[in-house]
Amino acid sequence: MAAPPIPLTVIGGFLGAGKTTLVNHLLANATKRYGVLVNDFGAINIDAALIAAQDGASIALTNGCVCCSLGEDLGDGLAMLARRDPPPEHVIVEASGVSDPWRIAQLALIETGFTLEPLIVLVDGVGFLDQLADRWVSDTVARQLTFAELVIITKADLTADLGPIRREIARLRPEARVIEAVGGALDPAVLHFAPPPREKPSRFAAEAVHDFPTASWRPSGPLDRIRLRAALEALPKSVLRLKGFCQIGPEGEWYLLQYAAERWAFTRVDGPQAAGFVLIGTPGMPDTAPLFAATQLAAEAPR
Amino acid sequence: MSAIRVFVARRVITMNASTPFCTHVAVKDGRILGYGSAADVAEFGPAELDTRFADKIIMPGFIEGHGHAVEGMMWRQPYVGFYDRTAPDGTPAPGLKSIEEVVARLQAHERTLTDPAAPVVAWGFDPIFFGGRRMSVADLDRVSSTRMVLVGHVSGHIQNANSRVLEACGFSRDSNIDGLLRDTAGNLTGELQGPAVMGRASRATGDNGLMRVQDVDALMDYGRVASRVGVTTSTDLANALSEDNAASLRAATDRADFPLRLVPAMRAREYTLEAGLARIAELKRQSTAKLHFGIVKLVADGSIQGFTARLRWPGYHNGAPNGLWYIAPAEFEGIVTAYHKAGHQLHIHTNGDEASELATEMVGRAIVAHPRADHRHTLQHCQMADAAIFKRMANFGMCVNLFANHIWYWGEQHRALTMGPSRAERLDACASALAAGVPLAIHSDVPVTPVAPLFTAWCAANRLTSTGRVLGEAERITVPQALYAITLGAAYTLKMDHLIGSIDVGKYADFAVLDEDPYTVPTAALKDVKVHATVLGGAVF
Repeated sequence: MAAPPIPLTVIGGFLGAGKTTLVNHLLANATKRYGVLVNDFGAINIDAALIAAQDGASIALTNGCVCCSLGEDLGDGLAMLARRDPPPEHVIVEASGVSDPWRIAQLALIETGFTLEPLIVLVDGVGFLDQLADRWVSDTVARQLTFAELVIITKADLTADLGPIRREIARLRPEARVIEAVGGALDPAVLHFAPPPREKPSRFAAEAVHDFPTASWRPSGPLDRIRLRAALEALPKSVLRLKGFCQIGPEGEWYLLQYAAERWAFTRVDGPQAAGFVLIGTPGMPDTAPLFAATQLAAEAPR
Repeated sequence: MSAIRVFVARRVITMNASTPFCTHVAVKDGRILGYGSAADVAEFGPAELDTRFADKIIMPGFIEGHGHAVEGMMWRQPYVGFYDRTAPDGTPAPGLKSIEEVVARLQAHERTLTDPAAPVVAWGFDPIFFGGRRMSVADLDRVSSTRMVLVGHVSGHIQNANSRVLEACGFSRDSNIDGLLRDTAGNLTGELQGPAVMGRASRATGDNGLMRVQDVDALMDYGRVASRVGVTTSTDLANALSEDNAASLRAATDRADFPLRLVPAMRAREYTLEAGLARIAELKRQSTAKLHFGIVKLVADGSIQGFTARLRWPGYHNGAPNGLWYIAPAEFEGIVTAYHKAGHQLHIHTNGDEASELATEMVGRAIVAHPRADHRHTLQHCQMADAAIFKRMANFGMCVNLFANHIWYWGEQHRALTMGPSRAERLDACASALAAGVPLAIHSDVPVTPVAPLFTAWCAANRLTSTGRVLGEAERITVPQALYAITLGAAYTLKMDHLIGSIDVGKYADFAVLDEDPYTVPTAALKDVKVHATVLGGAVF
């Protein structure tokens, strides 16, 4: 039995939005073993008393967490973290302040050992509106939000009226959930789509964060490759994630399918597996069962 | 007292305005003691007369103001480009004119491999002249179905992979990930675009591209490649300059048979600000006659043909989305200001016109905040700058090093896809730069295009594309201007014009020896002038 996939959260947002502050906070207050890949390794600021070992590209903490520099290839960094003994319980990837975090996140779809949690994009509660009006950075800031699933407005206490900021976010990415944060303090539950069952209600309104309905669908047999691709292409934007095993084609080869926001990957796996898809979406997610039912080989091809 | 050697030539082109032409150069202790007629140099005292170049032309050694010594490393892998190139040992590597020829070349290389697990990794591929035919997975599977086969495109922004690489990366037909190209039937073509998927493929084959530590042998090979085309000083314009990289540079350049002076630029982004400032100060103290530390490299955007450069309105001609900044503008300003304030010289990569505009603005702000004369901050590539940007650069005392080779290699692509017909006319606008008063160098960006300064000068003077079109006739510069740009002009952008770039008393005795006189051959033949030898510090190579 393979190890369960490690949750993976990608955090994006423009320079100054507070990504490093958030990462520093998570590392210093960790109650589980985080493996963190950061773009700006030099900016990581860990209390010396918490550092167990350190070299030019990684810091191991006494609480079991590890923080490494994000190199050229995300897969390389993830493989390095997965090889650790014990492996991290949750991986966090901090995208660079000028990159498109979605380009990084979709690469996690081809990693079988990880499962992609919400794409988090931080918005600078003080600087956001100026950034959107800036001749050089407005397009970058807007593009970073294009596929955001959870938007965290940082420095919320320093801005009198968050209304205009929320309206801009809703205009750019209506599908995203939006919460506010003060300093780097954040309930780690926001790193997941689903709240861990044992956790007590958060003072950061986790119930609003976790407004990500789920659905599932179980096939009765192998699926048709071409109809399945058509179904994936037809999924509405309200479907944020789809993950699960399925058999494809008359030979019934087993695959792991991972889907996130209009991108997906099939990875060949050994069978048999428990066939079925779990979907995570926004509150507007429709019932997709009929769409998938039509992909079954046994079903009649749509005319 | 060491001896005086006098080189005599059919003509000496000095690039020295006081005495533009003469016939004799006197050299002592590796430096130029004097020049003039036979009678003039006789006045320096007894000398050995060296007549081996008596029927040749002597010029100041050429300066590659934007090159990468990694070229030396590239030749450990087969070259599969469209254009003829020359390996470090002088072996011609003929350009491959069809996919079939590329496959055959790779098959021949594959047969030489003894380790069954060794990948086939090749470089320099360029499919744009194959009539729209792209390389496919099937083509590369014919090279090997058991080995990984990965072919890098000459632009550096695309790779082609075989099935083994795709499998190893987890890239399959049914996956839908950005950067995996497909044919009309939806099958993966094996073409990979963008750093995310390319990085994964490179890792799968165990090759990590341009970021490797260069060893002494690879640097020697770069020295051979550059020396053969008349270069006596070359930048290595993006080097981490870690201890081991710096040690390799030192070991190579300390060798008497190393034929170049090297000017490595420290990649600022390898360090935090404080560490980078400390590192460049420390490196400057380690400079030698053949290894000049001091310049700092910063990258603002990506490449135009890779659609990762930052363009101003109306953006890419084919509608591709604008590139992303490599550094956030605010952070960029902080880095520029810190290095400027500490007295260092910046070489800033800007390809798109918006990047050039931003870098000019940020340098300008740093100068206003911390006035400093003669900084010579230089924009590298700066391929889309217009007259307004050049005039601001001139006002701020900035220099430019334009990528003239692009006109030939990608001019047609720029006209058709990236810039469209109007902006392509001012691609690498040498005449506009000079008209605005911006000190000018021109470059090859080797290994992106082959190093050959006379070819680069030919590009700037003729502005022909690979199909023979003249692209922006009004931006042509004269042959003397172009030759100046590959000698004293480039030296100026490196703050080395007191040491190299012209034949003048006290400078290093660094010469390019030519078979023909570039001032008298037709402008169209400038690239065909053969380099007979180079002289570095008085020693003949």
